[in-house]
Amino acid sequence: MPTPAFMHGNQAVAEGAIAAGCRFYAGYPITPSSEIAEILSERLPQVGGVFIQMEDEIASMAAIVGASLGGLKTATATSGPGFSLMQENLGFAVISEIPCVVINVQRVGPSTGLPTRAAQGDVMQARWGTHGDHPIIVLSPSSVQECFDLTVRAFNLAERFRTPVVLLSDAIVSALREKLVIPDAADIAIFNRTQPTVAPDDYKPYEFLHGDVAPLPRFGDGYRFHVTGLVHTELGYPTEDAEIISRWWEHMSSKIEDNLDVILDWEEIELDDAEVALVAYGGTARSAMHAVSLAREQGIKLGMIKIRTLWPFPEQVIRNLAGRVGTIIVPELNFGQIRLEVERLVAGRAAVRGINRADGIQISPEHILDVVRGLERVP
Amino acid sequence: MTLSAGLSYASTWQAIMDIVARVTALRGDAPQPVVLSSLPELPPQELGGRTISVVQGPPGRNISLAIGLKAALPDVPLLLVMNADGITLGTNHLIHAARRNIGITVLLLRSDVTQQADQHLDRMRWEVLGFQSALETTATPLEWAMALQAALVGRGTLEEPDDLAGLISQAFDTPGFSLIGVTYASHLEMGVLSRTDYPEFFDSYRRWSASFRDLSDTAPKGMGTTVTPKTDIRRYEVRIVGLGGHGVKVAGTVLSEAAGIGEGLWATQRGEYGSATRGGLSMVDVVFGCERVSYPGADQPDLLVALSQNAIKLYGHTVKRGGYLVADPDQVDVLPEGALPVPIVRIAREITDSPITAGVVSLGCVAALSGMVSLEAIKEAVVKKVPVKVREKNIAALEAGYQASRQVI
Repeated sequence: MPTPAFMHGNQAVAEGAIAAGCRFYAGYPITPSSEIAEILSERLPQVGGVFIQMEDEIASMAAIVGASLGGLKTATATSGPGFSLMQENLGFAVISEIPCVVINVQRVGPSTGLPTRAAQGDVMQARWGTHGDHPIIVLSPSSVQECFDLTVRAFNLAERFRTPVVLLSDAIVSALREKLVIPDAADIAIFNRTQPTVAPDDYKPYEFLHGDVAPLPRFGDGYRFHVTGLVHTELGYPTEDAEIISRWWEHMSSKIEDNLDVILDWEEIELDDAEVALVAYGGTARSAMHAVSLAREQGIKLGMIKIRTLWPFPEQVIRNLAGRVGTIIVPELNFGQIRLEVERLVAGRAAVRGINRADGIQISPEHILDVVRGLERVP
Repeated sequence: MTLSAGLSYASTWQAIMDIVARVTALRGDAPQPVVLSSLPELPPQELGGRTISVVQGPPGRNISLAIGLKAALPDVPLLLVMNADGITLGTNHLIHAARRNIGITVLLLRSDVTQQADQHLDRMRWEVLGFQSALETTATPLEWAMALQAALVGRGTLEEPDDLAGLISQAFDTPGFSLIGVTYASHLEMGVLSRTDYPEFFDSYRRWSASFRDLSDTAPKGMGTTVTPKTDIRRYEVRIVGLGGHGVKVAGTVLSEAAGIGEGLWATQRGEYGSATRGGLSMVDVVFGCERVSYPGADQPDLLVALSQNAIKLYGHTVKRGGYLVADPDQVDVLPEGALPVPIVRIAREITDSPITAGVVSLGCVAALSGMVSLEAIKEAVVKKVPVKVREKNIAALEAGYQASRQVI
């Protein structure tokens, strides 16, 4: 029987990690993510896993990359200041195609910012935080249920596509206590990285497959190979050969771009007859959903799209939306990081407006509704 | 790179490959070491072929990467080959790896080995070469490691590669963190310089954590059974506003679980208020109903419990039409029109000699007025959420709040 449980978002993330098979966590505690570390420090020993508190977030990120290379499913959790420190080794995980999950519970930044207050200001950092072009997957939960479900999904996508996956939570969702339903373990879909079947001499750890990745064996365990942060050949050795590099790029981008049907995740709410649509994600989506209910009670044709996979961005979904509604409103706890994406995709075919604040206060449903009502007065 | 013993290495990588081959030969059937290095040169593929596993990781950070690798591969010896990065970017990580006694062996190549400095360097000193004005004093990492009580600290030279291989092999057999300096300065003392006997980190961790596995409860905490909700009300908002020390947050925890688990409703307890809590107020929002709760804020409460004048001033007007405003007549200056007077703080004091149960008394009001969450469901949640020694007083507070509310309806 699926079990109803009651917990806060950070606990659901921790339980989701355990359910997904995470068996190594390295981290440095930081508000508002600390409960994830606290809970995993108790839960991991129970399932034969390892928890280690590192000296900082640079080391935490490096350690989860190392443990993943050793065959474990690994995660770390942090907030803005720590996420900044992780970018160096996050890039190493990207280029060396080592699966891992990085949980960032967003608070107001930059720097120490407002440590206990919710924000969504790391959306672009999650996409482009480490230097250089690179593929990445970023998921955004808006409920305690999604904290559990998307954490499991983050591990599955990381293993499936040999990439770091960022779970971009926020201080609204992390501290929210809420009922959720935890499926039976047997009903939770789990993906484990594939193992090579060829002889060690024939194994290509970085085979430039189109839209797919090579199997990844436990390091130091029969299959010997070279792992590097340098651009490399299919065997993992550094190269500066432009022809090889171009094939490598093609592999790196196609493993994400060719699998959007698996990776993208969004939800349409009351959109069939909507004249105005909200595009929301994370904790702010909760205010948006309530604004839709209130609007419908008042006869206002408001709908919304709730985005769960932020990166890669659901571009076609937004392009299609532009043909269906006259106005798109993007409420977010930053100054328009996703609004600019929406504007780019809508390309003038609908009016786009932002509702933005980054002062630590949530956007209320009434605030959103006021903006929607105000549209009628705007020429 | 020509050695006095007649050996010559074309590059540092070639030297590493040769030393690793000697260590491997020495150790027979033991697992082959994994090498981690961030040497700036490109490792020539033909040197290693596919005979060893190498992580060419980020300078300095390789130490932390090795810590994760060690957690996953307890039986595989890890050899970190570092040059200046070990004592620049890596110092912080090096110190912590040594302090924790992680079972890795760090081979620290002195600048004369990596041909970044002449052989004038004395004793155990390392020099980090930088641009002009890099005014750092020379480093003494072997002394640091001794001070940190590293499991093994030693020194070797590429001029005696078999001795160096033997030293590395000893380090592999020593549980915990080892640091071996490598230099050409052959007049220095070679071999093991110091040892400390202390358990290896992950080994200790595994032994320590084994006992928890016996207690293993892999099911998440806070479980309940499935209950069919007895209401078709979609959304009901409760806001309790008191002062610090009124036990308001605990009350929210109890009420949300009573609704969510006991009554089988969907329920939320908001965790983040921004600066919505002002004037020293302590506030909790609980929302429940037969449908999933969208927004967890009780911005228009069906039931507002106000335990101070400030609470009335800030939120009194937000109560939904047809909703209840419960106010503590002892705590407010003027009882608003239509408010139900319940002396919540006085009841709490009578039962516990302090206002700490005021929040739970307020839940008695919720049980009496909401028609959504029963007294029994709240009692069950109190039993689950409140420490045993104060359980009875909390139940008494709850019941008193319930009775007092029924009298004023």
